[in-house]
This record gives sequence, C-alpha cells and structure tokens, in this order.
Amino acid sequence: MLHALFDGYTRSILVFTGVNIIAAYSFYAPFKTGQVSLGQAGFMAVGAYASAIMTQKFGVPFALAFPFGGLVAGIIGVLVGFPALRIKGIYLLLLTLAFAEIVQVVALSWDFAGGAQGFRQIPFNPSILEYVVGAIVVLILFFARLERSSLGRAMDAIHQDETAAEVMGVDVVRIKLLAFGLGAVIAGLAGALYAHHATYVDSSTFNIMVAVEILMFVVVGGSSTYWGPLLGAGFLTLLPEFLRTLRDWLELVPVAWTNFFPMNRVYDFLHDALDFENAKRLIVYGIIIIVMMILRPDGLLTRDALRRWRWTARHA
Amino acid sequence: MIYQQLINGLMLGASYSLVAIGYTLIFGVLNLLYFAHGEVFMVGAFAGLYLVVYGGANIYVAMLGAMIACGVLGVIAVYVSVRPVPKDRPLAPLISTIGLTIVLQNLAVYIFGGQQVAFPETIKQQLYQLGPVTMSSVQIFILGVAVTLMAALWLFIERSKMGRAIRATAESHETAALLGVDVNRVVLVTFALGSGIAGIAGVLDGVKNSGISPFMGLAAAVKGLVVMLLGGLGNVVGAMLAGLLLGMIEILSAAYIGTTERDLASFLILILILLYRPTGLFGTRTADER
Amino acid sequence: MPEAARPLCLDIKGLTKRFGGFYALNGLDMAVATNHIHALIGPNGAGKTTFFNLITGVLPADDGTITFEDRTLDDARPSRRTLRGIARTFQNIRLFPHLTVLETVMIGEHCRAYPSVWRALGAAVLRRPFAQVGAERRMRDNAMELLGFLGLAGQHDEKASNLPYGDQRKLEMARALATQPRLLLLDEPAAGLNPHETEELDAVITRIRDRGVTIVLVEHDMNLVMGISDRVTVLNFGTRIADGTPAQIQADPAVIEAYLGEDAAP
Repeated sequence: MLHALFDGYTRSILVFTGVNIIAAYSFYAPFKTGQVSLGQAGFMAVGAYASAIMTQKFGVPFALAFPFGGLVAGIIGVLVGFPALRIKGIYLLLLTLAFAEIVQVVALSWDFAGGAQGFRQIPFNPSILEYVVGAIVVLILFFARLERSSLGRAMDAIHQDETAAEVMGVDVVRIKLLAFGLGAVIAGLAGALYAHHATYVDSSTFNIMVAVEILMFVVVGGSSTYWGPLLGAGFLTLLPEFLRTLRDWLELVPVAWTNFFPMNRVYDFLHDALDFENAKRLIVYGIIIIVMMILRPDGLLTRDALRRWRWTARHA
Repeated sequence: MIYQQLINGLMLGASYSLVAIGYTLIFGVLNLLYFAHGEVFMVGAFAGLYLVVYGGANIYVAMLGAMIACGVLGVIAVYVSVRPVPKDRPLAPLISTIGLTIVLQNLAVYIFGGQQVAFPETIKQQLYQLGPVTMSSVQIFILGVAVTLMAALWLFIERSKMGRAIRATAESHETAALLGVDVNRVVLVTFALGSGIAGIAGVLDGVKNSGISPFMGLAAAVKGLVVMLLGGLGNVVGAMLAGLLLGMIEILSAAYIGTTERDLASFLILILILLYRPTGLFGTRTADER
Repeated sequence: MPEAARPLCLDIKGLTKRFGGFYALNGLDMAVATNHIHALIGPNGAGKTTFFNLITGVLPADDGTITFEDRTLDDARPSRRTLRGIARTFQNIRLFPHLTVLETVMIGEHCRAYPSVWRALGAAVLRRPFAQVGAERRMRDNAMELLGFLGLAGQHDEKASNLPYGDQRKLEMARALATQPRLLLLDEPAAGLNPHETEELDAVITRIRDRGVTIVLVEHDMNLVMGISDRVTVLNFGTRIADGTPAQIQADPAVIEAYLGEDAAP
C-alpha cells in the first residue's frame, strides 16, 4: 500500500523516523509519572533481540514475534521498575543508564545471538513502514485518551508531587510500575521494528547516544503534551536529512541571479558551506539543539501553547 | 603477578579519577550533569596529539597545551551552552550539554576523520624494577602525573581562597553569594579547572594506549558518571579514590573473570550503590539531595 | 454518659518516633472520639507534624500502636491508609503546581472511583461510551459540589498555583475531602489567614464535622482552637502534658507553664 508511494531510501528514512517516534513515546510513558529513564535504548535492544531470535532462529512469523519482543521487554521493564520506584532524579538516570549498558554487555557476549559479530541476517519484513505508522497512530490515540482520563491526571499529580499524591490515595507504586513497564513494552516494539528493517543489530546499535537522543526527542518536542514525542523525534530525525537537501535547493536558484558580484561570492560561499557531509551536518544539528534549549527550553509545543491554540480555534 | 594487575588497575583508575573530578566538581557547584565532559577529555587528547605531531612539542608542553585548550573550552562551554539556558526548566541544561557533545564529537570527526589515530611515542620506553614489580617508564610517568595533579587539586580545593569559594558554592549558591563569593566566576573557574584536568587525562590516555579516536569521549563520559556516583556526588576526594578503586576492580575482573565481564562488574557495582548507598562510598557534598 | 458510649475513631497508645537521639514523639497516648473536633496543640517543635506523618504512614513509627475505627493501622503505604478513610492537609501547602482547581480536587476522587489501576487504565483507553462518561461526570459533579461547599466553584478552571493564599488552603481541604475520609487531619489550617478568613475557616470546619467527619486539628491560633474543639491534647517535647476540654486545658497549670513566654491569651 504505502509501498508504492516511496522509494527504498525514502522508506528507510521514514522507518527510522517512525522508530524514533515510537522510542520517544516509550520515554514519555514513564516520564509522565516523573521517572526519567535513560534505559529505553536497553529495552529496544531487548525487543530487537527477542523478536529477531523468534524470526530468525525459530521461524516465527513477524506478526507474532513483534508483540513477543514487546512482551519480553515489558517483563524486564517491570523487574527494573521495582528498584526504580524509590529512586529519583539523577540516581534514576544512572540506574537506567546502567541497565542499558548491561544489556549492551550481554549482547556483546551472547554468542547465540551473534556476540561480538552482531546478529545478522534478520529476516527483512517489507511492511515495516505500515507497522510503524499503525503503531504511531495507536500510540497517539492512547496518549490522547490517557491525557484526559483520571489515570492521566493521577500520573501528572505523581510527577508534580509524589508524596502529596500518595497521601491523597493515589496508588503511586502500581501506577509508576505500570508507566515504567509500558515504556519498556513500547521501546521493545520499536526495537523489533528496527531490527526487521535494518536486518542487522549488534551490541552498539542501541548505545548510550541512542539512549540520550530519545530523552532529547521528548524534551525538544515538548514534554508536557502528548504531541511532544512525535514533534521532537520527527523534527530531530529529519533535521539532518533536511540539512542535506539544503544545497540542492540552493542549486535551484536561477543562474542569472548570481552571475554578478557580489552575489556570485555569496553563492560560492553558501555552496561550499552547505556541503554537508555527515560530520558537518551533525555539528549543525548539535548547535541547533543548544540554540533550541536557549530559546525554547520547554520544547516545541508546550501545554499552554496548545491550550491557547485550542482556545483560538474554538473562539475564532 | 597480582602486583602487575594492581598497577594496571591504578593506571586505568587514574584516568577515571581525573575525568570524574571534573564531573563531580561541576555537579557539586551547579547540580548539572555535564555530559560533554567526556568530549573535553577527547579534545585534550587530540590537542596533545596536534602539539606533538605538528608542533614538535615534548610531552610536557603537550599536556600543558591540552590543559589550556580544554580550560578555554570549558569557559566557552559555560558562555555558550550553560549560562544561557534557564536552570529551572527540567532537563533543558542537560539536553544543551548533549548538543554540545554532538558538536564536539563531530567537530573532531570532521577535522581528524572517524578512525583511530596513532599517538606518537613521546617517552623513552624503559623498564624499572621496584621490588616484586616491573614498571615501564610510561606507567611511572602516567601515575606520577596523575598523583601530582590530584594532590595539587586537593591542596587547591582545601587551602586556597578560590577553593573555599568553590566549596561554599557547592553547599549553597545563596549563602556563598551572601559571603561575598562571585558565583558566576566560581562556575567559570570550576569548568575551566575540571576541563583542564580532563584534558591532561586525555593526553595521558593517548600516551597509554598509543592511539586515540574521536569516539573515546563517550566511554569516558559513562565511566566518569559511574565513578562520580561511586565517590559521592560532588565529592572531589571521593571521585579520586573511587576512580582508582574502580580501575582496580575492572582490571582484576578482566584478569580473573573475563574481559567483556569487566564492564559488567562496574555497572553492577553502580546498581548496588544506587540501591543501597546512593550517597556513594564517601558521601555527597551538595546542598540539594536529589 | 453519651461521651463514654461514643466509639473511638482513633486510639493511640505509646506512639514513639525518634530522629537519631532526639524524640519527636515519646510514648504518646491519645483518644479521639468519633465526630469530635480534637485539637493537638503545643509549642513549636513539639512533634505535631511528625504525629500527622505517622498517622498517614509517611513515616514509620518506632513504637506504639495506632488503632483506627477498631482496627490496627499499620499499612505500609500512605495510599492504603487514605483508602481506609484518613485524609490530611499540609502545613506548607502542597498543591500540584500545574493542575487546575477542578483537576486538583478530582485527584482526591481518583482513589474512590478507581481503586484498581487496571480499571483506571481500562477506563482511560476503552472509554466505553456511556459507562465511563458517566463515571467521569460523576467525579466532576462531586468535585464541583465540594468546591461549592468551600466557596471555590467560580475558580474551578484556574491554575491552582494562581489562587490567593486563603483559597489555596481551602483547595487543600477540598482535595482531602474528595477522598471521602472519615478522619480528617488538618495541619495548621489557619496559618497565614487574616481574622476574617479564620472565622470562615471556623465555620467550614464545623460544617465538615456536621457531615460526619472526625477532625484532628493541629493549630497555633488559640482563639480558633478553644472556640471550636470538643477536646484538646497538649504536647510538649513529644510527650502529652494535658488532655481535656478547652476549659480544662485553659486552667491547667502545666499547660500555662509550657506556654510561658508564648502568646497564650484567648
């Protein structure tokens, strides 16, 4: 279906963007209760490996291996979630980071799953993009509903003042575990999707930079609304691609406009400057991130902005 | 044999300590996880490399140059990515340092390429016998520099006026300001100092491993975090001791259990500490317990 | 006598809490009769907020027993105790900074509407058309009724942190009441209120009691305390030095001595 619309390269970009979006939502779930987790990359790895083992070693169809990956990640998520209950702030950050690193080490030494060579020849699934889009739609609907529900409010309350919420009767322990486990499941699903498109994963695929980028997606997108993960992951994943194409746009400028001094100098300068091979692109990417945190530390979309938008839409 | 391993452990640990010192100083003063610190370490290594290869400098000049370059980098980082970001927003300062990490790492890739680069030999290889232990000149050099640095830093923090100012600021910005401390200046000094030391650590690492890469910063960043927690957040002496301890634990587990397991050991220890003694082995030194 | 026949809401025996070598509470005995307004007073640092923290389960006791409605109160988690019917307000107001007034009260409702997390999740996601909309509307109506009861109905859409101080205190009470408590612990509810607001508070507390709630009140405003309480317990350095009706307490020499130097004149 969506197959025909895009060529292979574009498909890949879209799949990676989609996987990042799903990963961003996996961070958003525990974050709603105030738990900042740098371990989502680890859960992605768990989901990737679990599902890949099912499809490659046991011939299980992807449609079954996919939720299986999520399930395994979720179980491990709840296990990690227990000790995480009584830890906050930077300590939780470090605990989840340690978890992600341990997963990496396990992947590196587990020869059944490829060990240092990595897990190769994972069966490619041609409809990953459809799965990705479907998952994103479900996630947005889920979080939109959660936002307006009593449970969603309870999660916000836990985030804002955990002790007060507990004293008001909110079952903080169960809700935090639920949120954390949910995040792990979503991350596991994202990992499974990635693995069956890229057909190769190894211990460094879901490394600390990935873990940290997932956090970045949500904060840059705006952590106070459920659109944040979509916006942040979409924006930040596509940004380097966009930078790459800037030069192509420049070349569309009619020659007549730049044939004379000083425009020809300007053109030459821009043309050289926009020669964005990988590293240069990423330097600009990093700068943009810093600038964004200076100018819009609350993210692209804030709760107040959304409220104002809705208000104007309703009263226009 | 075990003495040999202990020496190796101390060398590895010294590297960890020097990086963790900057981390914990900055965290103590600003409650900020300065994620880009690992990249500063990497920049130091490359600065040293540059000086040796293109400037024909000897190792001491290279270290000095790296220290200055990284110190300046630290100051720039404060103006560019720390100060302008509002501190009351959750996580925004951390993301800003992540952006800085990306910039620095890719700057290095852009300039030096993505491969490992050989670090030229700068110290004449010689073996010395000290009792049951055989040490090479390189090992003695690295340990000597590391210990000297740590001792000098300790004296600075404990005895000098600026050191007292740093400790006061780590306790409470308000109280320090009331006592006449220029908090902004303290932050700058802390960054410069921490970064400079990390820079030297980078050069030492290059000497030890005879090779550096633009990606060496990430591993250093992660290990630095572990050591910082182990030693107690904000606790400089704790970071020094914890680094050495972790280095020895890693080398010993690599020797007696297996090389991949060595990282496992440090992360398991991290988890245990987080769960049962989050203040670290030696206690934290920040005002806000977060 | 009606007094003796009335069952006890809260029965505390030998309650002790240590912080290092310092005894915040030392063998406290206290009996709170059902539907009474029972005040706990004492000089600052006498252990009163610690008392609330022990009752609500925020801190574990070192010794002693707490019996609530004839059953021992030893649930480890505060949320369980709230489900049993104990609610509190905080001395330094602890509202949820980013929620609206209405949302704040509805948090209190949550534990009654959704005691099970899975039910809550199901309700959030499945939103079966009529059933769940009904539950949400009921919560909303209850919350609005409570807000009306406390005179905050008009501000239901305001951000809780934007409210003036006196209204924030009322909001804290509304939130606590939303959990349908049978015992309400009020931690210095009059702190920072002007005389007019304190009179209003007097009326509100009485109205809450008239709804069938037992109230334990920690307070420094002696006018309020002596005027409204059925019984007063006096605490000093963690031990009980007096217990009786307001009239008895005001005449008690031990109490007067403890308050020497403090403004104890009614």
